[in-house]
Amino acid sequence: MKFPAFDYARPAGLDAALDLLAGEAAVLSGGQSLSPMMGFRVARPEKLVDISRLSALRGAALEPDGTLVIGAAVTHAMIEDGALPGPLGGFLARVAGGIAYRAIRNRGTIGGSLCQADPAADWPCVMSLLDAVLVLRRAGGERQVPVRAFLLGHLMTAIEPGELLTVIRIPPQPGARFGMAKSTRKLGEFAEGIAAACLTPGAARVTLGALEVPPATLAVDPALVTGPQPARLTSSPLYAAVDAALKAADATDPAGYRHHLAVLTGCRALIEAAQP
Amino acid sequence: MDSHHDSNLSNSSQVGQPFTRLEDRRHLAGQGGFVADLRLPGIRDVAFLRSSMAHARLGPIAVPADAPAGAVWTAEAFHGLVKPIRAVLDRPAYRPSDQPVMAEGTVRHVGEIVAAVLADNRALAEDLAERLEPAYDPLPAITDPEQALLPESAPLHPGWADNVYMTMGRTTGDFDAMVARADVHVTRHLRMERVAAMPLETRGCVARFDRGSGVLTLWIATQRPHLIRTMLAEQLTGIEERDIRVIAPDVGGGFGGKSNLYPEEILLAAMAMRLPHPVRWIEDRWEHMVSASHSRQHVQTITAHATKEGELLAVDVRFLVDGGAYAMRTSTPAVEANMASSVLPGPYKFQAYRFEATTVATNKTPVGPFRGVGRPAAVFAMERIMEETAAAIGMDPVEFRLRNMIQPEEHPFTTISGLVYDSGDYPSLLTKAAQSIRAPGKGDAPANIAIGIGFGCYTEQTAHGAQEWHRRGSPFVYGFEAARVRIDPSGGVLVSTGIQSHGQGLETSLAQIAGDVLGVSYDRVRVVHGDTELCPYGMGTVASRSLVMAGGAVEGACQRLAAKIRRIAAHNLDCAADDVLLAGGEAQGPGGSIPLDAVARIAYLELQKLPLDVEPALDILYCYRPPVETGAYSSGVHAAKVAVDLDSGHVKILDFVVAEDCGRVINPLIVDGQIAGGVAQGIGQALLEEFQYDDQGQPTKVTLADYLVPGAPELVNVRIIHQETLSPFTVHGAKGLGEGGAIGPPAAVANAVSDALRQFGVDVRRVPIRPEDLWEALRP
Amino acid sequence: MTDIAITINGTAWEGTVEPRLSLADLIRGELTLTGTHLGCEHGVCGACNVEVDGVPMRSCLMPAAAADGCAITTIEGQYGEMAERLRAAFTTHHALQCGFCTSGMMATALDILRRGLGRDEATIRRELAGNICRCTGYQGIVAAILHVAQETTP
Repeated sequence: MKFPAFDYARPAGLDAALDLLAGEAAVLSGGQSLSPMMGFRVARPEKLVDISRLSALRGAALEPDGTLVIGAAVTHAMIEDGALPGPLGGFLARVAGGIAYRAIRNRGTIGGSLCQADPAADWPCVMSLLDAVLVLRRAGGERQVPVRAFLLGHLMTAIEPGELLTVIRIPPQPGARFGMAKSTRKLGEFAEGIAAACLTPGAARVTLGALEVPPATLAVDPALVTGPQPARLTSSPLYAAVDAALKAADATDPAGYRHHLAVLTGCRALIEAAQP
Repeated sequence: MDSHHDSNLSNSSQVGQPFTRLEDRRHLAGQGGFVADLRLPGIRDVAFLRSSMAHARLGPIAVPADAPAGAVWTAEAFHGLVKPIRAVLDRPAYRPSDQPVMAEGTVRHVGEIVAAVLADNRALAEDLAERLEPAYDPLPAITDPEQALLPESAPLHPGWADNVYMTMGRTTGDFDAMVARADVHVTRHLRMERVAAMPLETRGCVARFDRGSGVLTLWIATQRPHLIRTMLAEQLTGIEERDIRVIAPDVGGGFGGKSNLYPEEILLAAMAMRLPHPVRWIEDRWEHMVSASHSRQHVQTITAHATKEGELLAVDVRFLVDGGAYAMRTSTPAVEANMASSVLPGPYKFQAYRFEATTVATNKTPVGPFRGVGRPAAVFAMERIMEETAAAIGMDPVEFRLRNMIQPEEHPFTTISGLVYDSGDYPSLLTKAAQSIRAPGKGDAPANIAIGIGFGCYTEQTAHGAQEWHRRGSPFVYGFEAARVRIDPSGGVLVSTGIQSHGQGLETSLAQIAGDVLGVSYDRVRVVHGDTELCPYGMGTVASRSLVMAGGAVEGACQRLAAKIRRIAAHNLDCAADDVLLAGGEAQGPGGSIPLDAVARIAYLELQKLPLDVEPALDILYCYRPPVETGAYSSGVHAAKVAVDLDSGHVKILDFVVAEDCGRVINPLIVDGQIAGGVAQGIGQALLEEFQYDDQGQPTKVTLADYLVPGAPELVNVRIIHQETLSPFTVHGAKGLGEGGAIGPPAAVANAVSDALRQFGVDVRRVPIRPEDLWEALRP
Repeated sequence: MTDIAITINGTAWEGTVEPRLSLADLIRGELTLTGTHLGCEHGVCGACNVEVDGVPMRSCLMPAAAADGCAITTIEGQYGEMAERLRAAFTTHHALQCGFCTSGMMATALDILRRGLGRDEATIRRELAGNICRCTGYQGIVAAILHVAQETTP
C-alpha cells in the first residue's frame, strides 16, 4: 500500500503556493485524510503543494469586534493546547481534543478537515454551528464563503481549482454557551452521530453531522433545553422537538438508527450547553 | 493463588516465578527482527494483483506493453512448478476442495491471487499491478452460509453436487426420552459473525535460492516453520525438503492466523528458485483483510431440555459454518464446526446430546484457526442457552450452572461428546468468579443505563497428543515436541526447540524450566526457535500446546543432560553421581563443587578428566510424547459486568473477572498477559469485530477504521483469579492456556447484556452486539 | 526527486527522496532503523509513530519530503531518563508480547508522560486510543505508564 507517484513542492510563501495551485495541483496540509486515500490509490494527485508550514496560515487572532480568525494550517493539537484566544478558545480546545488521536492531531489541520468535508468530522459540524466564514484565496483574488455554502455533501465542497482555504473567520457569539456530543463505536474512530449546540439567551440551536448531507443546523425552543430532563432522553420533549426538526430537514431515513443517533447526540449537545 | 495440589516437582526455584521476559530487551530497543526488517542484497519486491470480484470466470489478463520482461507472473508461469493446495481430513464425510496457488479460469473470492508482479520496490510493483487488466465474467456470488445451502445456489467447486465441505451429526444417549422427561425446552437461533486473528504484523515472506548449495531459504511470518517446510516440499517441484530452510524470525502476533500454509509462500518460493535474486512480499493491511484467513461465522440453533428443578437433561445443537471459498491447509474449514460440536458440553454433564455440524463453501475469504477454534462459538451457544434456560426455570443462572457441572472428584471424566477431561474444579471457579463480580453489587445507575452481569464457563482442550489428532482425522498426526539442549564449553546453555514463540514469552518460560533442572539462572539460558536448520522438528505454536509439549521436551532433555553432568562431576569430585546437586551454576558434591563451565570444559576440551564410559560433549536431543494423549484440560469462568445505554444501545464493559485453572503456572506474569490479551480479543468479538459483505460478495470492512479491534478505552483491567489443579498427564502439571482468554468473553458479555435487558424482554442473539440492534429491539 | 535534510536520532542526514516515499519507508529503508513498524499504512494502528520535532506523528502518513528540516526520533534514539524508566516499566509490567506495536506505543507513552497525562488510568486509556496492541489487552501498558508517572511525580 504505497503512494502513487506525485510531484511535491513546499513553497516558502503564500503567494508562491497560490501560483503553484493555479497550475493543476492539490493541496497537502496535514495529510491525515489524503495520505490514506493515496495509499489506497483512490486519490492520485499529480502534484502536491505542501502548505502545512506556511506561517501565514499557522496563527490565530481575535479581531477587535470579537471575530476569531484561525489560520487554515493550525493543527488540531495547537487548538487543543489553547492556541485560540478569546471566549471560544476553551470550547474549541475541547472539540479539537476529541478528534481522532493525538498523533493525528499533531499533524492534521482545521483547514484540511474542512476541505475534506467528511460529514462525520468535527470541524464541519462545529464551524457550521458557529456560522464560520471561510476565506478562499487564489492567485490574484479572494472570496469569502459561509461554511454552510462551502460544505456541499460527502467529501464535496465549493472550493474551486486553484483556490486555497487560508483563514476561518468565526463571528463573535456573545453570551453563548456550547456543547458537543459524539457517538462512536470506538474512541477516536469515525462518529456515527455528532452534534454541536449553542445556547444564547432566548435561543438554542444545534448542528447535526454524520448525515448523508452537509451538517444540518436546527433551531430548538430553549425552554426545552434548560428545563430538567428525564433520564431516558428518548422520551423527553426535547428529543421529540429535535426529532421533528430533523425530520422536517429531510436529511435522514427517519426510521433508521442514524437518524436516532443524530437526534440523541443533538439532545446531549444541547443539554451540555445548558450546564451551568 | 489457590493451590489444589502440592507441587510434584522438587528444586523448582524458578518455575512459578513472575520473571521478566528475556524477549523484551530487543523489542524495547527497536532491535527485533521481523520479516519486513530483513535486508538482503539485490532483493526485489512482489505485489499481487488480487481479484476484485467475488465470483467470476477469469479470462486473459491484459499486460501493458511497456511492462518489463519477467515482471508479470500469471498462473501459466507456475505450471509444472507448483501444485494446488489440497487440505485433507481423514473423514468420509469431508470433501476436499483444491485451493489454486494462483487463480486460473475462475476466481472465488475478493482477494484471491490473480497475478504476481515483480519490481525493484513495492511501490513500482503496485504501479504495474494496478495497470493489469484481467477479464472477468461475473458469476452469482454466495455470500451467506444459509444461502449456500439453497438448491438454487450452484456448486462453487467442480465435481461438487452442492456447497457442503462437510456435514456430520450424532446422537448420544436416549435423546427422545430425555426430551419427554424435560419440563422446559428453550431454543435460540444465534449468530457469531466472521472475524479474524488480525495480528498487528501482517503476513510476509522473503525467499532466496542459493545456486551454489541448492538451498532455498524462506523467511516467513509463520507460527509453524517445520510444517510449512514439509508442506512446501510437497507443493513445489524440483526441490527436496532437505534443501528447504524455513526461518520464522520475530513474528508480530499470529493467534492462529499465521498457522496455515498460504499460496503466497509457495509462489515466493517458486519465484525465488527461478530468479537470480531474493524476492520479498510484505502483505499490506488491505491484503490482510481479504486474504489472510478469517474465522468463526456460525449460524446456530440450540435447544436445552431441562427439568423445572434445574437438571439439564439434553442439548440439541446445529452448527452451520461459513467456510469460505477454499479449504486451507492444514486446518480445513471443517475444523470450526467439528470442534464446536465436540467441545459444546464444556464443564457440564447431561444425559443426551444431539448435534449436527455443517460447513459450507461461499465466495468469501477462506477460514482458518483463530485463538479458540470452535470453542468461542460453542461456549457462546452453550452459555447463552444455559442463561436462558435458567431464566425460563426461574433459577439463578449461577445456581443452575453449578447444579449441572462436573464435580472435581469425577475426573478423569468422559464427556457426552467423548472427550476425556483430566482434572479440574469447575464449581469452585464459578463460585469464585460469581463472588468476585457480584461483590460490589450492580450499583446505582441512572435510568438510561441498565447494568447486567453474565458468565461464560468453558473447558479448554490443550496439548492434545497423537490419539486426539488421529481421532479428528488430521492427516498430520501431531503428538510430540523436541528439544535440543547443549551447554557450551564455557557453560552457556542453548535450548533449541520446534515451537515458535511470537509473543508467548516461550524464550523465558522454557529458560525457567531449563534453569531449574540445570541449576542455572534462567537468564543464562538462550532459547532458539523458528529455524528449521537450527532447531529440531516440531509442530509449531498452535492449539495451546507449546508450553506443555516443548516444556516437557526441555525438561526431559535437561534431565538427561543433568544426569550426565552429575556423572562427570562425581568422577572429578570423587563422590556418587546421586550425591551431586546442580544449583547456583555449580555441580555440588558432599565435599566440594565444580562450576558448570568447568564441567562443560571437561566434556569438550579436557577429556582426560572425562570418564571413559561417558560420551563427550553436553548436547542432547529429546523428544517428548505425553503418556496420555487426550490432552490436558484447562478451565475457566469469565464474568462480565456491563452497562447498556438504553438510549443509544451502546455497551460498556464495567468489570471483567477471569477465574481460571491452567494447572501449574510456570510464569504468572506471562500467564496473566496471555489471559488479558485473549480477553481483549474476545471482547472485540463480543462488541466490535466483524467482516461484512454486500450481496455481490464485496467485503465492506477492509481497513482498521472499519474492522474495529478494541483499543485501550474499550477495555478494562481484567481481574484474574488463579486456581492450580495440576494435570496428572503432563510433566509439570501444567496445562495450555493460550486460547482460553478469547473463549469466554463473547458468551459472558452477551449474557451480561441479556441480563441487563431481561426486564425489557430483550436477549442477545448475535455477536458482535451492535448498538443499532439493541436500539431496534428496545424501541417502544 | 526532492532533496531533504533531517536530523535522525540526533544525527544530521541529507539525501534525495522520491516524493512518494513515506517517512516510515525512509526510516526503515535507507536509514535502516527497522524498529519503526508498519501495521496498517493508513494511520489507524500507531505502530509507525515516531517523534517529529518532539511530538508523535504517523510516519506512514507523512511523505519523507514533508519532514525536511525536522528532527526525527525513533525508538532507537530514545535515550532520555523518561525513556529508560519506561523501558524498565514495560518489562516489569509485561507491556509487550510480540513486540510489534512496542516502538509506536513507546512514542505515545512518552508523549502522555511529557504532557502530564499519566496520572490516572482512564486518561491513559483515552490517550492510548490511537495505538493498537493485539496481544496484551493494554493492561501492562497502562500499568507501566501509570508506574512511571507516579515515579516521576514529586
